[in-house]
Amino acid sequence: MEKDHLKSRGAGGVMRRSVLGTLGVLGVAAATGTLAAPGLAAAQALGAQETVDAGLKRVFGGRAMKDGSGLIKLEIPLIAENGSVVPVSVEVSSPMTPTNYVKHIYIVADKNRIPIVTRASLAPEAGQAYVGANIRLGETGDVRAVVEQSDGTLLQVKREVKVTVGGCGG
Amino acid sequence: MSDIGKVRLRIPSSIKAGDVVRVRSLIIHPMERIERDAQGKIIDKKYNYITKVTVTYLGKAVVSFDTTQSVSENPFFSFAFRATDPGPLKVLFTDTTGGRYEGTADIKFS
Repeated sequence: MEKDHLKSRGAGGVMRRSVLGTLGVLGVAAATGTLAAPGLAAAQALGAQETVDAGLKRVFGGRAMKDGSGLIKLEIPLIAENGSVVPVSVEVSSPMTPTNYVKHIYIVADKNRIPIVTRASLAPEAGQAYVGANIRLGETGDVRAVVEQSDGTLLQVKREVKVTVGGCGG
Repeated sequence: MSDIGKVRLRIPSSIKAGDVVRVRSLIIHPMERIERDAQGKIIDKKYNYITKVTVTYLGKAVVSFDTTQSVSENPFFSFAFRATDPGPLKVLFTDTTGGRYEGTADIKFS
């Protein structure tokens, strides 16, 4: 497409240099844009339609996850009658000091078409690693909480939730 | 429809300095889910859902959520923060249409 653009303007002769200049500037802008905004890109990609394994691999890059059942309290009903509103809360026992705190809490629903439901980012000022939300569940399946601590350790717990009426029409 | 963006914050009625306080925030928002046509193909349109929730206390970000369409309609988010000084607690919701909805609560000590 860029080539066509060049050709059509280039045939005119007059505009050629300025067009090249503009293209150059655009190119630089595009390049820095992609470099400067990985966070934004990641945020947009958070809601991709994928399998849960692909999603976890994309977000965590295949890093090992330890069992966090001693530290993480995942509260979610065992049976969700209405899959479109399922209250879930995650509490992690953590000192929440500037050197040792919980950085992210991910809530992941294995069977959803968009498995990564939400990512909570916490600051030490939160005082307590606790988040809660209402989520949708498409069908019966595991719901996991993945916790990333400030030193990069990943912990996860999961629990199966039976869903009577699915909440993700999509 | 006109209620979109109504934010409610629920904080405990009495807070002491230094307490870790749990807050529930609720917003009226459709959180549109992906629609499919009869063939099961995704209808390509701009879905209106919240992508970001940011909580600031005394001007500092305490908690933020990145959310997807797997979050319910009219969602609530709860979180905790340590109340150190009296001041405003703000919760800002941003959706895909560029809408920004804010709820504020004044943290006072009793």
